[in-house]
Amino acid sequence: MKYVIIGAGVAGIEAAKTIRQQDASGDIVMISQDTFVHSRCMLHKYISGERDEKGLDFTERDFFDKYRVHWKKGVRVTNVFPDKKEILLDNGQTIAYDKLLLAGGADSFIPPVGQLRQASNVYGLRNLPDAQAIVKEAQWAENVLVIGSGLVGLDAAYGLLERGKKLTVVEMADRILPMQLDARAAMAYQERFEKAGARFVLQRKASQAVCQPDGRIHQVILDDGEAIPCDLIIVAAGVRSSLACLEGSGIACERGVTVDASLKTSAADVYAAGDITALSGIWPNAADQGRIAGKNMCGIAAAYTDTYAMKNTINFFGLVTLCVGRVKEEEGDLVCIREDQNQYKKILLKDGRVEGILFQGNIANAGIWQYLIKNKIDVRGIKKDVFDINYGDFYHVGDRGKYEWVIESL
Amino acid sequence: MKRIIVEYEKCDGCKNCSAACMQAHRKTAGTIYDLDLTDPENESRNVILKDAKGQYKPLFCRHCDEPECVKSCMSGALYKDPESGHVFYDETRCGSCFMCVMNCPFGVLKPDTVTKTKVIKCDFCVNAGGEPSCVASCPKKAIHVEEVQA
Repeated sequence: MKYVIIGAGVAGIEAAKTIRQQDASGDIVMISQDTFVHSRCMLHKYISGERDEKGLDFTERDFFDKYRVHWKKGVRVTNVFPDKKEILLDNGQTIAYDKLLLAGGADSFIPPVGQLRQASNVYGLRNLPDAQAIVKEAQWAENVLVIGSGLVGLDAAYGLLERGKKLTVVEMADRILPMQLDARAAMAYQERFEKAGARFVLQRKASQAVCQPDGRIHQVILDDGEAIPCDLIIVAAGVRSSLACLEGSGIACERGVTVDASLKTSAADVYAAGDITALSGIWPNAADQGRIAGKNMCGIAAAYTDTYAMKNTINFFGLVTLCVGRVKEEEGDLVCIREDQNQYKKILLKDGRVEGILFQGNIANAGIWQYLIKNKIDVRGIKKDVFDINYGDFYHVGDRGKYEWVIESL
Repeated sequence: MKRIIVEYEKCDGCKNCSAACMQAHRKTAGTIYDLDLTDPENESRNVILKDAKGQYKPLFCRHCDEPECVKSCMSGALYKDPESGHVFYDETRCGSCFMCVMNCPFGVLKPDTVTKTKVIKCDFCVNAGGEPSCVASCPKKAIHVEEVQA
């Protein structure tokens, strides 16, 4: 049996591991443009200089030897031919497969504003080469502009601030991290970033950006007419699944590759996992998808069921935040707040169920909230302050000393 | 693998286990008698919870069969040791993202209070011969180590 995995991110790596655990003798080939296996969640630490390329590796030591994975790095898949069960690489090589996993991730989305897409000093922050290019440009860039203040935009900003750069962050919303935080929690980060040298321009967007004869954009004009000088521009406006190599393959795609619960695509023996599916943009889910696809590729039925993805942790300048579920308050919510000098915690309750939490400063022992939210557990029967609810209220020691959740009919 | 088995009915909430854990993981040398319980750097990996009825419910890392913390670790810092079955933590690899804290379904994990760069995680007292200090200190025998099938 020959398994071919496209992509060396967490979905591909976890799939390879799972396949090897199930099939000791099959051939596993991994193909990636990446030449270093790296955690995309740590690129900010590369930009800041806290880690080098090897320090971003999340795999266990000697991963490729240990799991006998043949890794073809630095090559791109240009075509997939499900009828012939072959893929074509950009070096002209054809590789046949019995089972194929599409785990090529996603690409930064550069919006069609002015000439952002044409300019040579505009970068996304998605892959190590992006981070490497940003570091190189930052050596001489005096003015840095970051467009978008989501997690990726702030990752870029953090890394460059640690390098002592002054930068401007432009955000369309009225606060930073608008998908994750409320105004108050966002301000706590904004203050820390400002102290480190960032300037934020909120409720504004880029409207004009013209390349100069050197192929670079030297200023971006916002929708209120303000001109922001820039030597380096980082665009953090989301990602799009990397579907280019699937053109003409007949494999069904929408926003991402279409998959069923077993992560099988519309083509026989072709599976997909991770950001290429557009099911979720977060690490734990991509890893799960990789393991589940890997099992199915080995003929062991498994389903992707823990699909909950509205969850994030944030940690900048020593301030940690956990947010799960809905952030925006709605009519009919019971909004509970607990705060002191070290923490700000908000819980949104509706009809006795926790629909969202935002904990900042103190996230100790907060793992239970995801469970409560995604399982829509009614907490009205627990006679204590909602913030004091803990696993003790659902506690059960089961077989072999394992903890289990017991929901009494409340 | 070895697991700490909890019999919560026997727990009287004395927190000897927590003090023993703090002592076992303190940075400075010394005995329990000079352990600074108010120093936020001294943190316990276990915690005695109380439910709404007032019953004590000791919370100890299960070193799960399928650990959600390991599954959510984006740096490779958390890993399940194939030999012992325990979940260990390599502080030097940790990226301080705390997705492990988010994903532990029992709420066992927490970031370190002072620096928010490390996760406070049970290591089964591996550096002290693998005999958990919490178990040795429990006067009610509410926790004990048992060999369970891996």
